[in-house]
Parts: sequence; C-alpha cells; structure tokens
Amino acid sequence: MKRVLTLSLAVLALTAFVSAGAITLDVKEHTLANGMKILMITKPGVPRVVCHIYYKVGSINERPGITGTAHVHEHLMFKGTKMMGVTDFEKDTAIDRQIDEVVSQIYREKYWKSDGDPAKIAELQKKADELIAAEKAYIIKDDLWGLYMKNGGTGLNASTSQESTGYYVTLPSNKIELQMLLESDRMQSAYFREFYSENDVIMEERRLSENSPGYFFSEQVNAAFFAASPYHWDVIGWMDDLKKMTKADLIEFHNRYYVPNNAVAIYVGDLDLEKTIAMAEQYFGRIPKGPDIEPIRTYEPPQYGEKRMYGEGPAPTSVQIMFHTPWAGQPDVAPLTVLAGILGAGGGPGGPGGPRGGGGTGRLDKILVQEKQLAVNASAFNRAQWYVGAFQFSASPRLDKGVEPEDLEREIWAEIEKIKKDGVTDDEIQKIKNRSEANFIRSLASTAGLAGSVGRAELNRGWKSILSDLEDIKKVTNDDIKRVAAAYFVKDNSLTSIYTRKMGR
Amino acid sequence: MKKIFSLIFGVCVLVLASGLAQIQKPGDLKYPVLKYDPPDPKAFRTVLAGGLRAYVQEDHSLPAVNISALVNFGSLYVPEGMEGLDSLLSGALIRGGTKTREGTAVEERIDFLGGLLNFTVGERTSSLTLSVLSKDLDEGLALFFDVLMNPEFREEPFALAKARAIEQLRQANDQPGGILSREYEKILYGTHALTRRAMKKTYENITSADLKAVHSQYFVPKNIILTASGDFVKADLAAKINTFIRAWKGKDVKIPVFSKAFPTPEPGVYFIQKPINQGYISLGHLGLEDTDPDYPAVQVMNFILGGGSFTSRITTKVRSNEGLSYNQGSRFTTRWGFPGTFAGYVQTKSSTVGYAISLIEAEFDRIRKEQVSDAEMDTAVNYFIDSFSSQFEMPQGTMNAFANLEMQGKPMDYYKTYRDKIKAVTKAKVLDVAQKFIRPEKTVIMIVGDFEPCNKGGEKWAGPLEKLGKLHRINLIDPMTGAEIK
Repeated sequence: MKRVLTLSLAVLALTAFVSAGAITLDVKEHTLANGMKILMITKPGVPRVVCHIYYKVGSINERPGITGTAHVHEHLMFKGTKMMGVTDFEKDTAIDRQIDEVVSQIYREKYWKSDGDPAKIAELQKKADELIAAEKAYIIKDDLWGLYMKNGGTGLNASTSQESTGYYVTLPSNKIELQMLLESDRMQSAYFREFYSENDVIMEERRLSENSPGYFFSEQVNAAFFAASPYHWDVIGWMDDLKKMTKADLIEFHNRYYVPNNAVAIYVGDLDLEKTIAMAEQYFGRIPKGPDIEPIRTYEPPQYGEKRMYGEGPAPTSVQIMFHTPWAGQPDVAPLTVLAGILGAGGGPGGPGGPRGGGGTGRLDKILVQEKQLAVNASAFNRAQWYVGAFQFSASPRLDKGVEPEDLEREIWAEIEKIKKDGVTDDEIQKIKNRSEANFIRSLASTAGLAGSVGRAELNRGWKSILSDLEDIKKVTNDDIKRVAAAYFVKDNSLTSIYTRKMGR
Repeated sequence: MKKIFSLIFGVCVLVLASGLAQIQKPGDLKYPVLKYDPPDPKAFRTVLAGGLRAYVQEDHSLPAVNISALVNFGSLYVPEGMEGLDSLLSGALIRGGTKTREGTAVEERIDFLGGLLNFTVGERTSSLTLSVLSKDLDEGLALFFDVLMNPEFREEPFALAKARAIEQLRQANDQPGGILSREYEKILYGTHALTRRAMKKTYENITSADLKAVHSQYFVPKNIILTASGDFVKADLAAKINTFIRAWKGKDVKIPVFSKAFPTPEPGVYFIQKPINQGYISLGHLGLEDTDPDYPAVQVMNFILGGGSFTSRITTKVRSNEGLSYNQGSRFTTRWGFPGTFAGYVQTKSSTVGYAISLIEAEFDRIRKEQVSDAEMDTAVNYFIDSFSSQFEMPQGTMNAFANLEMQGKPMDYYKTYRDKIKAVTKAKVLDVAQKFIRPEKTVIMIVGDFEPCNKGGEKWAGPLEKLGKLHRINLIDPMTGAEIK
C-alpha cells in the first residue's frame, strides 16, 4: 500500500551561513523528527552529488573482547537487508539461523574448552559448510554495491575510524533517491548474511596491515601510550577477538548505534534543496528514534612517569617522542596545532629521492635535515581526537653518517627546551595562520572532502567547529606557544619509542 | 568583510505532497532524465608568448588559482647508468634555487603565503604545480616561472638531495606490494629503459651539471603545456604570464625513441622469499596500449572479470564466496607509448595462495570460453556511462586531462566520443577481446611470500606450487651494494 506523504505546510531548513574572514561555508541544515540531521551544500557544476552518511560510532565504542566490531559491522552492512541481497527472505533466514547455531557449538568446543574435541569440531564444521553452501541459493551477491555501480556510483566505499563510521557514494544528481532508499533500508533492517566468510576477509585485512613493515611495533606503542581509554586498540581489532566474534555481538552493536538520532547524512553537489529534504523526510523520516547513547566513560588518566619502548624489524630506523595533549575543542589545541606546523612543515619522507619540492620549511627539517644533516626526515604532528590528544615528534637518522636514534632524541629535546624558553618567531606563527586559512579555502574545492570534514565534524562538536577551530588558530600568540610547550613537553607525560632496522617480523 | 555569524535565518521549504509515493524496492524508482555534455578542449585552449600552449579555465567559486606546467620529460628519458636522475631532479628543482633566489627562500615564501609549489617526475611527464590564493597570484607566478625557467641546482642542496635519496634506497625491499609490482614489470618488460632502477652507484654518477643539462634540453616552451584554473580573468592571466615567458626560447627537443620489442618470459611461477604471513600475487602478461581500438571493449571485459570491484567475478569468487582476501581483482594498466600490463591479483594467507591462484585462473578461462551475461554487460556499460561526468568535477583536473591528450597526441575528441565507444561494445566483442588479450599459455605467476607455507598449501589446494607451472626462485638486489640478497 502506498503511503502518500502529506507534509502540507513546511519543513524548516536552517541555513547556517558561516564565514571565516571573507570565505563562507554555506551549509543547509534540516533535522528530522527522529533526530537525524541532514546537511546540504550546493555546488553547481557537473551533475553529480556526493552522498555520505556518518554514524557516531567507532572502535572507541567497543570493549575488550569485542575489539574490531565497529569495522566488522561496517563490512556486514554490505551483506544485505530484508529487501536487498536475498531472493527468499524466509527461507534464507531459516538456514541462516541453523548456521549460527552450528557455529555457536563450534565456538564453544574450540574456544570455551581447553581440550575441545577435534573430531567433533570437524564434524560440526562440515555441517556448517553444507548449510553455508545451501544458503547460497538464496543470496544475491553484493546486491547493494552492484546497484550503486550500475547507476554510475563512484567513490563507493565505507570506512571506520576510532570515533565514526561513514558510508559513501557519489551519484548522478537525478539518482539521490536511490541512496536515500538503500541507506535508510540498511539502517533499519540490516541482515548480516555471509558473516563467517566476511570475517575471514577481515582477518586477511588485518594480515595486510601486519605485513606493512613496522606495524606490530607501532600497534604496541599505541597500546602502551593509550593505556586505559578505548584508543588502546587499533580499529581493526585484536586477532583473537576477530576469530571469536559472534553475530550476536554485531546485532547488539547495530541496534544500539545504528539509529537515526546517531546519524548525519550529508549531500554536496548539484542539489535541489527542497527535493532533497522531502526525500530525506520520506526515507529516513520513517525510522523510529532510538534510545539516547552514553558517551565513552574512560578517558586517559595522567601518566605520571616516562615510558620508553625499543623494537626492531624490517622498517627504517627511527625515533618517536609522544606526549599526551588535550582533546579536540580544548583551548590549548590551537597553540599546539600551530607549534606542530612550525616544527614539522614538510620534511616528511617524501618517497624515494627525498623531498618533493615545496614544504621542508619546518624547524626540525631545517635544523636536523638541512643544517646539521643528522636526519633523513624529521616532523611533528598534533592530533586532537574526540576524547584524547597526542603530540608526536618523529625522525629517521642518517645511518651513512653513523647517527643513532638517541642522537636525534637529544636534538629534539634541545629544540623543545629552546621553545619553552624563547618561543618561536612572529613570522613562523603568521606562516601557519596563513597556511591554515589557505588550506581551508582549498578544502572547499573537493565535494567529497567537504562532505567528509563537515559530516564528521557535525557528529562531535557541530560542523561550525571547523570554522571556530580556524578562528582559534588565528588568535594564537607566542606566549601561548611557550605555555603549552612547558605544560605538555615533559618526560612524565611522554613515551619515547626507538625502532631499529633488522630483518624479521 | 563579513564576520562569523550563525543560523542567520530559517528558510521555510514547501514540500509538496504530490509525487512522493513510498518506494518499496529499487526497481520501482523512476529517475528524471539527465543530459550531460563533456567540456570541449577547444574552448579552453590558447597559445601564449613563444608558442607556449595552454588550457585555461576561469572558475570564480573560490579565491584561489591552480597552475601547472606539464613537461614532456620523465624517468624513461634518463640515460643508462644515471638511473635516479629523475628523483634528484624532483628533489632539487625547487630546493636547488634559481639564478636569483636561494631554494629555501622560494620554499619559505610560498609556505608563508599558504601556497603549494610541488614538482614531480613521472615515467614520461613531469609537473610543476602551483596553488595560491588569488590575492597572491602575481608573486606566485613570479616564483613559479623562475623555478620552471631558471633553476640553478646549487651544490649544497643537490648534495643533500643525493645523500637522502641514497639513504632511502634502504627501503627498496621493505614493502611486499612494492617488490611485487617492480619485479612483475621486470619479468614482463625484461631489460628495457622501463625497468631500470636507481642504485647507490648510479646516484653517485650524477652531478648537478647533469640536472642542468636535462633541464635545458627538455624544459623549453615547445615541450611544455601549461594548465590554469581559478579566480582570474583569462586575458589578464595570459598577459601576466607572457611578461615572464616572452624571452624564453630553447632549442629543438629530441625525444628519445624506445624499442617496443619485449622478451617472452617463460610461463610458470616466479617466487620471491619474504618472511610474511601472506602471499602477494600477480599473474598475467603484457596487455595493450590505450590507443588500441579494442581498448574500450577491454575496459568492459575487465570490469566484469575483476575490475568492477564487488560486481566482478574474481571478487565474488575469491573474496565474497571464499573469504580468502581483502584485495583481489584484475587490471589492465596503461602507459604512454607502450603496452601496459595485464594482471589478476590477490593477497591471501600463505596456506591459501595456491587455491586463490587456481580460482583466478579459472575465471581467466571462463571469460575466454563463454559469453558474459546480459546483466553483467548492463552493469558494466551503465557504470562507464553514468559515472562519466565524475572526471570533470575539478576544473584543474579537466585542464590537465586535455593537456595530457594533446601531449600524447591522442584525438582531442576522446571524451566526446568515449561513451559511444562504450555503448558499441557487445557481448561477442567482450568474448573476442578476452580471447585476444588474456593468454593463459603466456601467464607468469609472481608471488612474494614465505615459501614453505605457500608451497605446502592447505585443505582446498595442496601444494607444491609447481602444480601451477615451472618454479623459478628470484633473489632481490640490494640497491645499496648491487649484490643479490640470498
């Protein structure tokens, strides 16, 4: 039965027109009755629209035992719904339940017991394989993905971070309704078929990371730096948790976090605002509001003691010094960001052949790479996340000159002490202010980039925080820089990691 | 000037009830007609002083300007024995300074303005790119053309670039994916300018005078196409640029000629040892040039075989059905003036290396034996047609695409005729190009991984790897010493 939408009078679209200096960011906002936020940015040009949907959930919403769930769940969101990916929902469901039951018995035998019976496991596995083969008759493979591609979908993907999860497609401007239908459908009726083979895929994804030189060490460094908060584990999760993950974990996760009041949809491109709002009301508006969601509880406690780690393996020899810093939105973030820019502009590895022009004007590069010629590269970076922050110095020594990582560590500390005492120059501060503004302007050119930064910002502190962060940077003074350097760059607040190239894992 | 204010006003949007019926399934959706014509290169082409060709587009949406010089010079043109010269050129063109400016002064100034100035060298083309706010255009142009026309390659920054490049050679055999793509090309193209690589000793051969020589040989107006887009008036920009380039001449350019004869490698398994927990795999042979009339049909065929992500056969079989891998598929690469490579690819845990290869080989066979389905054709052709406009989203990208067409001597109506060529592909044609461009009897299977567990295999495919073809073990070269790594 057709239901005709009778929104007779008006839907209120709030136009937030915010400017930084002379530049405006014109975002139209609309909030559905169920709490879901719809953001729109019109950008005439080619007839295409970037359609992204972001959920306020990531790996920080996991707990030990279910690490990796947010990311596994993101993969399973492509495995169909009641409407998509299946020819006969009832018959498929009947088999799917049997598979879950058999696999649950395997898990109990394999993981709950120290002396599980291999013969019983093999017998159950055979049964599971038969059921999985039988279910294939009812599955339409990658139905949603195929439908998007057939309709000219590009930029088709999804990603999970520590704090958010996004689902992306860019469509011809006459086909936005397809995204509204498919995304509202999987928000409310996702059905996690093919869970067990997809979990194997994700373990392969983790192995790919493991084969990236230096991965194991950096995973351990991260875990040591973030000791208590859920930033302790990587988004991909620990291998043990992936092996033992159950479908029940995913269903619980979905029901809690995949609700309209925890989501933001953003559309950027050649848009008709009225039609877009009407479609959002029609498709996303039909989903009931979910319960309110509690933010994470465990922040990172003070460290009260220097940490040091040593590792070796098949990656370049390097040193890193990390300090805990405030999370996004705190007053000290802007001076730390400016300081990172001053220290670290350019100077990264730059691929074979050294620096690729431009950049390289950061203090660390100038002093350690160019003047003293002690490092191959040297950089600094401040990362203010939703609930934690980290300021990181990194450098790789000139082995041909017999430089050791510890030599670079001493050099970095000497530079830190200089900044605590004398600060930086006015020109250096102005350079970062100019660059921040120019980078902001450049970021407005990419529709997909804009959708990503505005959509994600909305989930945490509201999209206008992009502009207020820029304004905060413009206010930074040399005294601010000296103050934050003294406050955060102390040994008790640091983790130093030294990595040496050796063959092996 | 406007300052921050928020939530200025609420706009009442009238939503008409008509026409918004609740759709129950995707097949019920009806889309309004959408017509799109790609931009015409002729509308943007201009010739500046001294015959410098340019593609220029005004775009006043943001107060910024992008400029790029596309130079017909790349690593391929570097003489034998001087491999790595391209990397040093990219590291020293800006940082080595100009006749009147220190390199650090150029970098500092651009950085202070919040601009970007980068130089990259590819296989056959190099690009110097500038991005500045429009208020800084004059200063940006002065720096851009000074670097492009008058680089000095001063000794100290040159020596530093060289030392860093040599240090970074230590990483040449770190990444399994990097090793695979380099060694796969080495097998398929053999000993050829396309596959020569920098070593410590080749870097040591290069002097700053060599960079100057290359610059004066190739960086001349006739060998460059300029592109520009952004917040300017076209005639004003042309006048400004002409003041910089009026006196710029340069001798005739002679582009080296290369052999297109490549060896026929012995089919079989080529194994490179690395103690990792997966095998990184490519299997295939040389492909075709993108100027080949069969190329549009090959694109459609490859989309169905392994290029169309989750809609493709290899992804369905290897990833979706079996859970063997995260990355898998097939690709036909392209390169200017030479056939590209064809490869099925996958990365999978050591015990399923043989099984994954066998599944990909089965798909190579199937697409050569049976016509693809109507549904597969429909998805592939619609994808190419409906996603076509996406490549023109960024004005600078469009200008660069036109410049590349002209530089490579491709037809300037390439984009105008593209969709018709895709529409003309039939199922019979897909079968035809599959048989012509996928050749199992020539297939080289290259694996980077841990030999013992890969060779042993697993439940669904037991080793040895020799079941897939004659086994060759390859030792890598240490670029620091030039010696084989045993």
